[in-house]
Amino acid sequence: MLAVDNLSIIYNNNKVLDGFNLTLEQGEIFALLGDSGSGKSSALRFIAGLDSTDSGSIQLDGQQLSNHGKHQVSPEARGIGMVFQDYALFPHMTVEKNIAFGISKQPRIKQKKRIKELLTLIGLEGIERKYPHQLSGGEQQRVALARALAPSPKLLLLDEPFSSLDKNHRVQLVAQVRDILKQTNTTSILVTHNVSEANTLADKVGKILNKRLTIK
Amino acid sequence: MMGLLALVVAMPIIAVMLSWLLPEHELWTHFSENLLSSLIGSTAILLLGVGIGVTLLGTVLAYLVVMVEFPGRKWLEWALFLPFAIPAYVLAFVYLGVFDYSGYAQVWMREALGLPGFDIRAGSWAIILTFVLVFYPYVYMMTRASFKRQKINLIEAGKLLGAGPFKVFFKISLPLARPAVAAGLLVTLMETLADFGVVSLFNYDTFTTAIYSAWGDFRSIEVAAQLASLLVLVAFFLIYFEKRARGQAKYYSANVSNIRPYHPKGSVGWLITLFVFGIFMLSFAMPMLQLSIWAWGAFADEWSDNYIDLLISTSSLTIIAAMITVIIATTLALPGRCKRGSIWLKGMVRLATLGYALPGSVMAVGLLYGINQISVVNVYFGGESINHIIYGSIFLLLFAYVSRFMAIAYSSIDASAQQIKPVFTQTARLLGASRMRLIWQVYLPMMMPGILAGGLLVAVDVMKELPATYLLRPFGWDTLAIQTFELSAEGLFERAAVPALMMVAFGALIMMVFRYLDKKSYKAS
Amino acid sequence: MNNKTWVSSVIMLSVVWVSSMSAVQAASDESVTVYSSREEHLIKPLFQAFTQDTGVKVKYLTGQDGSLIERLKLEGVNTPADMFMTVDAGNLWYAGSQDLFQSVKTDTIKNNIPAHLRDPQGLWTGLSVRARTIVYSTDRVKPSELSTYADLALPKWKNRLCLRTSKKIYTKSLTASVIYNQGKDKAGDIISGWVNNLAATPNAKDSHVMNAILAGQCDVGLVNTYYYGRLIEKNPDSALKLFWANQKTTGVHVNISGAGVTKHASNVAGAIRLLEWLSSDKAQAIYGALNKEYPANPNIALDEVVSAWGLFKQDKMNLSQAGVLQAEAVKLMQIKGYR
Repeated sequence: MLAVDNLSIIYNNNKVLDGFNLTLEQGEIFALLGDSGSGKSSALRFIAGLDSTDSGSIQLDGQQLSNHGKHQVSPEARGIGMVFQDYALFPHMTVEKNIAFGISKQPRIKQKKRIKELLTLIGLEGIERKYPHQLSGGEQQRVALARALAPSPKLLLLDEPFSSLDKNHRVQLVAQVRDILKQTNTTSILVTHNVSEANTLADKVGKILNKRLTIK
Repeated sequence: MMGLLALVVAMPIIAVMLSWLLPEHELWTHFSENLLSSLIGSTAILLLGVGIGVTLLGTVLAYLVVMVEFPGRKWLEWALFLPFAIPAYVLAFVYLGVFDYSGYAQVWMREALGLPGFDIRAGSWAIILTFVLVFYPYVYMMTRASFKRQKINLIEAGKLLGAGPFKVFFKISLPLARPAVAAGLLVTLMETLADFGVVSLFNYDTFTTAIYSAWGDFRSIEVAAQLASLLVLVAFFLIYFEKRARGQAKYYSANVSNIRPYHPKGSVGWLITLFVFGIFMLSFAMPMLQLSIWAWGAFADEWSDNYIDLLISTSSLTIIAAMITVIIATTLALPGRCKRGSIWLKGMVRLATLGYALPGSVMAVGLLYGINQISVVNVYFGGESINHIIYGSIFLLLFAYVSRFMAIAYSSIDASAQQIKPVFTQTARLLGASRMRLIWQVYLPMMMPGILAGGLLVAVDVMKELPATYLLRPFGWDTLAIQTFELSAEGLFERAAVPALMMVAFGALIMMVFRYLDKKSYKAS
Repeated sequence: MNNKTWVSSVIMLSVVWVSSMSAVQAASDESVTVYSSREEHLIKPLFQAFTQDTGVKVKYLTGQDGSLIERLKLEGVNTPADMFMTVDAGNLWYAGSQDLFQSVKTDTIKNNIPAHLRDPQGLWTGLSVRARTIVYSTDRVKPSELSTYADLALPKWKNRLCLRTSKKIYTKSLTASVIYNQGKDKAGDIISGWVNNLAATPNAKDSHVMNAILAGQCDVGLVNTYYYGRLIEKNPDSALKLFWANQKTTGVHVNISGAGVTKHASNVAGAIRLLEWLSSDKAQAIYGALNKEYPANPNIALDEVVSAWGLFKQDKMNLSQAGVLQAEAVKLMQIKGYR
């Protein structure tokens, strides 16, 4: 399903990640652990097509997205969803509009149905008309997840999605997100520095140590 | 494309810079021997005094209005914006009429109190005070917005640590608001630098005096432009310092906090009311009263249907110029390409926002020269002169407005663009949005508060603008500012009060629209 | 593409709109177009009367003299202006020296306006005369104490003198006449003396000078007579009077407002007709009544207020000298610290 081959990340002329290889099956959840500066977020951003680097190839669902560090498909066309640490919900749009942003080309009725479906999935029915600032941090995070899932991405990337939540919420939400990802059978990569978070959420956990990825 | 747009806006400024190709040694010798050192000194004193004054008054008023509860606060918060609607030269002629040796205030002081009279135009304190009272709204406006958006937890943390209102002001609020204060200060100083109306009423010599002398007395447009280009240089440094003051700090956070204001004890609240109300009286109510008294006596003489035309041309220029300026400023400020662009592109945008420090008439002549040069080049390559199409057209006047007021629109819009974090762009792209959709559905709505504020500030400034309008307007496009100037130039202050009052009323109307939109933007975010 | 198309369509739209505006402008041919640095309220009644008499419409654009001259220069052959009207001989002389006027010599103008108020080559014609003289407080000054402009530089007027700013063209022309009559060195001393005697920072307006004298800030000043005329018309009891300066020497400094037909006028006949009409008895009478100036045409009876000030001897300096010496005058004032 996903194959990352020989990816390297360089910070300030300093190779921090070298020869990163990863393959994931459909629906598999992978967690990537590493200290800050270990290049784990950069690896994620490369997979998304947002940043470039000098070596690394990516295949998704049989399609070559990047080859030897060069992107062949732009982020818009990759079919990859991403959830960021600070959610990045559009502040001027309601929850409904936020979720619909990625599926605007579908007919309105279909959009409505999808939004309802997703809100049920994340357990937040009836908040369609609310603005992001009217929601709690955990609620915002779940809406961001719903927005990323709306176009049914082939791959979902989660970049430290729980780090700005307090501990109680985090434990609860991590389990809930795993359920959602499993229900939708979404292939996912989670980047985190929290070991228990990685263990709870993922099927497979990898750690970056001395520039190398080791998979447990 | 963006570079070209910036280049077009910067054209008059570039034309002014190119004046150095024609040096005139004799006049420079005279100026440097007899004028420049004293002019630079008096300009520096003026800038320093006005800078300190508006910073103190603007930040203190903004702090009081946002962080302290006192009687009449809600009402005064908005009343303090109103002086922005009064053109500086109108305020100056009212102040001279009231406070100069022959004004009521001094006559009363001498006759009732037996105090000696004095020349308020001697020295620099009176003109500094005038500028402070007319320009403090810039600092007040921007600092107030910043205070409103300061993270509540920082202030609460300060309170919990036992800091009183003074300590919170100096240790937390003010440092956080520094970028906003610097932005307001920048606009004030640039406008002071370019002023001609107030300084000529006070007969206070500044750098613009030398520019006008070179042009008017020695008929050397080249030396005038050379002197003016030095103003551009000063503006450049001011902007540089503002950028440094802003540093990496975000302009303001996107969210409004519900700050719980201090409740001062006993009569302190009323003392604050007295202070804030006093500033409002001095900077708005008293001048309006004086203008009304003058206008009352002269209204029958002065009023004619002509005023309907003046109102129509003033308002259409105001609205059209504000719209064009805002559209161009928004295009230049959009996150993405331009921001990541080359040094050349960034330099162009910088240059395009320096026009605010140029006196309007210099800007206007720079524009005429620029167009003329394009014609010369065009004719050289076998084309036709474009002068007759452009000169005397409304296009030229609008062009001048856009060049001159780009700085105001851009700084306001750019500030709102700065708060669009890259993560929003990335999210939208990953959700499949095209750049067009990104602009329309993400950038523009998020920049809207800045776009509105920029547009309204430009509108008020266009309404008040005199020298460029006077020189470039087509037939039949007289404005209220021109009418005010022509009547007051002949000493007919009573009659001049009629168009001046209409201008203030129109400006106040714009401020009310601003208030409405501002409230909405706080509600929405 | 995307935002490029958006911006360029806005620009295209504005270009189309501008061209349509210009088209409207160029349409009318049967009117005379005037650039004027005399304010609208002083010229509008004249032009209305002209249109009533002749049926020819007048379009006008007011502005500051320097700016309008610059605009005329840059517009060159394409200028819409048929006539340029301004105050001060210095401005007329300068516009003439920049080749902005064409020569007009008609019998009507020769008969109506004395030769010394016209350009020798017929480039411009004076239309009204303004005198700049001494104004004094009747409470604190006896007319016998007054004599010349130079006298106001003597120490006896220390802290008693109010002057208008040196940036005003009236001051520049007066100083030019002092240089012309007394030589540069003597003129420099006189200016220094004035500056030493000032009781207040130079005023922005003549009316401020008179207010300052009325309020007791100073005792004497220099003003154009029509400002005094307006003040006395409103407050006939004001304790102010005019004194005719230099009567035993060179005479009162006079200046003119005037006009000329532009070099590239498209309606030359109409512009000449307007100029002739402005020199006529009817127009000259309006001039005097509107602004308390002296008509350039000597046959016109003076306005009642104006005639009350009596007759006076005029400085016979050729008015173009005011233009020639103006830069010299400004330099001298700047060197001597007259702001």
